[in-house]
Amino acid sequence: MAEKDKLIGGALAAACGLLTAGTPGSSAAAESEPKWDLETGFLYYGESDDRVKDASLSALAIRDFGDERKLSLGLTVDTLTGASPSGAISSEAPQTFTSPSGRGTYTTPAGEIPLDSSFHDTRVAASATWSQPFARLYNFNAGLDLSTEFDYQHLGLNAGVTRDFNQRNTTASFAVAYGTDKVKPVGNVPIPFAAMSDAVNEDDDAPLPGRGADSEDKDVLDVLVGITQVLGRHTLLRLNYSYSDSSGYLTDPYKILTVVDPITGDPVVRTPPPGVEGPSGVYLFEHRPDSRTRQGLYAELRHDFSGKVLQLGYRYSTDDWEIDSHTLEARFRVPFGASNYLEPHVRYYTQTAASFYRYSLTDGVALPEFASADARLADLDTWTLGLKYGHQTVRGNEWNTRLEIYRQTGNLPTRQLIGNQLSSAQMPDFDAVILQFSYHFKL
Amino acid sequence: MKPNPSTIVCLLIAFASLGLSGCANVGVKPWEREVLAREDMQPDTNRMDTAFDDHIYFSKEGSSGGRGFGGGGCGCN
Amino acid sequence: MSAPLPRKDLRSRLVVAVAALLVSAVAAAADPATSTLDLARYRGKVVVVDFWASWCKPCRQSIPWLNGLRSRYGAQGLVIVGVNVDAERGDADRFRREVPIEFEVLYDPQGTLARQFDLQGMPSTLVFDRDGKLVHTLLGFREARREEHEIEIRNLLNRKIS
Repeated sequence: MAEKDKLIGGALAAACGLLTAGTPGSSAAAESEPKWDLETGFLYYGESDDRVKDASLSALAIRDFGDERKLSLGLTVDTLTGASPSGAISSEAPQTFTSPSGRGTYTTPAGEIPLDSSFHDTRVAASATWSQPFARLYNFNAGLDLSTEFDYQHLGLNAGVTRDFNQRNTTASFAVAYGTDKVKPVGNVPIPFAAMSDAVNEDDDAPLPGRGADSEDKDVLDVLVGITQVLGRHTLLRLNYSYSDSSGYLTDPYKILTVVDPITGDPVVRTPPPGVEGPSGVYLFEHRPDSRTRQGLYAELRHDFSGKVLQLGYRYSTDDWEIDSHTLEARFRVPFGASNYLEPHVRYYTQTAASFYRYSLTDGVALPEFASADARLADLDTWTLGLKYGHQTVRGNEWNTRLEIYRQTGNLPTRQLIGNQLSSAQMPDFDAVILQFSYHFKL
Repeated sequence: MKPNPSTIVCLLIAFASLGLSGCANVGVKPWEREVLAREDMQPDTNRMDTAFDDHIYFSKEGSSGGRGFGGGGCGCN
Repeated sequence: MSAPLPRKDLRSRLVVAVAALLVSAVAAAADPATSTLDLARYRGKVVVVDFWASWCKPCRQSIPWLNGLRSRYGAQGLVIVGVNVDAERGDADRFRREVPIEFEVLYDPQGTLARQFDLQGMPSTLVFDRDGKLVHTLLGFREARREEHEIEIRNLLNRKIS
């Protein structure tokens, strides 16, 4: 009995002691452990000529609450300028198009691929994720993310769980993400295959011909199943299967297709009414299916060669739009000096065209159910070549910079080409430069 | 890494059926994780680069995503 | 009043382990850093053997906690022995400059002791009662369970040798 009282008394004293004073040794050390893990970055992305330029600022903050409970907060702001291909084809004659707002026109010189001058647009994206273990071998995470720009909004929720096996040599993971997006295009959502209309006055508020609702929605469900496996003291392998289902408005409201003459393959010529500015040809707004189901397999190997780390990744993706892609990527981190590293990077990507990808539409031929001339849905190959340099400071923080060049080459759908297109058709290929600065530090 | 037949079979089993017991003999002891615990061996090294890249490639190419998360590391706790 | 504890099985296991260690220590005599763990000398004390490494993040919390236990209960017969499993001694030294260790440390770079005790994770904390019997194996370290573990150790300290 006395022993038991002593035990209870002891337990109470211990509990009170821990709750009030704490223990000098442990709390001092716990306080000196950095609780914030912060990473800030600046990115510049610039395509050749007058095409897209993007400048982005991003910050990621992870707050450690002890025992592996973490809150991750992210914020990214980017501004986009420059022009991107509208989907219209180049022609021997200059072409005039009505701008997306319908309140002006722009002209493309002969022989050039028409670029739709994108808007000076700023996007803000934010995310928050909570992650914590439960039971010894499980970890759970849940988060939300949202982004907004003047014509597009996104809201997403995600949750995932991981479970370790085999003395933590094997980790199985499962994650689900659901997103809902709203697009509010300038000038309203175009009716599928409606013809680009003439321009109207600046102060004319009447709805444009060929336009419908002022916004459309889209939902995306993503599921990811994966395994990470330790293969040896120096080697880690990751394998994932992903499934993605999008439904709703998947069309790009700003992209068009050129209607061409069935013999020459040249754009059909159109003259706007007198006193009115408008398109010099017949350009129809594109139309994509209202659902897309995609599956992917991803494998990544990480191997340490006495301090140098090689990372190899391969991804295969296939979907019901018939876009199949392969991505092959390698990074090799080589430390030098006491606290520096160089990391070359190479990436190769190739995809097949969507089943409804069209170079142009032929006058007099019945319209297909779906069609898009967006070069991003065409048969294409891309290469990225880059070099990253990083330096660790005395405090264990790191700043790094990387410079990469990106080249995208579209492959002409030769079987679709007619007349003069066979000799003059071109894909809107481009080169881009990627420059990034980052600083990673702990507080 | 020395890929031996049992490693390959284990991976195929694990991937095909998530039969993780097939991987029971592959891996390292808990006290042998000094290399795996290094920052440059974590699945989320280059996290900011990856986020930027995913955004670029999502805007410029037809397919995206699927990289995943979790695993590796020091295996502590 | 508790019944006499059956110590023979665990004690003989420890003796065999120690003997095997001595043999392998002789075999690996080239590395003077390898230490043997002789629990017999701590008979009558509650012994906490903590396996740690420089690359083990939770060890940065568990070691200060163990320092605290030692200062609070050392006089009552608590002994803490750290076993470092770093392959490179330099990594352990660097860690010790950042995180002071106020108890004895043995070095096990080949993982011999770790293998002998068949560690299931890192950190691993083995708690032996005054009779030398292994009574608790703590896998990992969680701040939230500090109190609970401290109470368990106090209980062991309060039990007399049989």
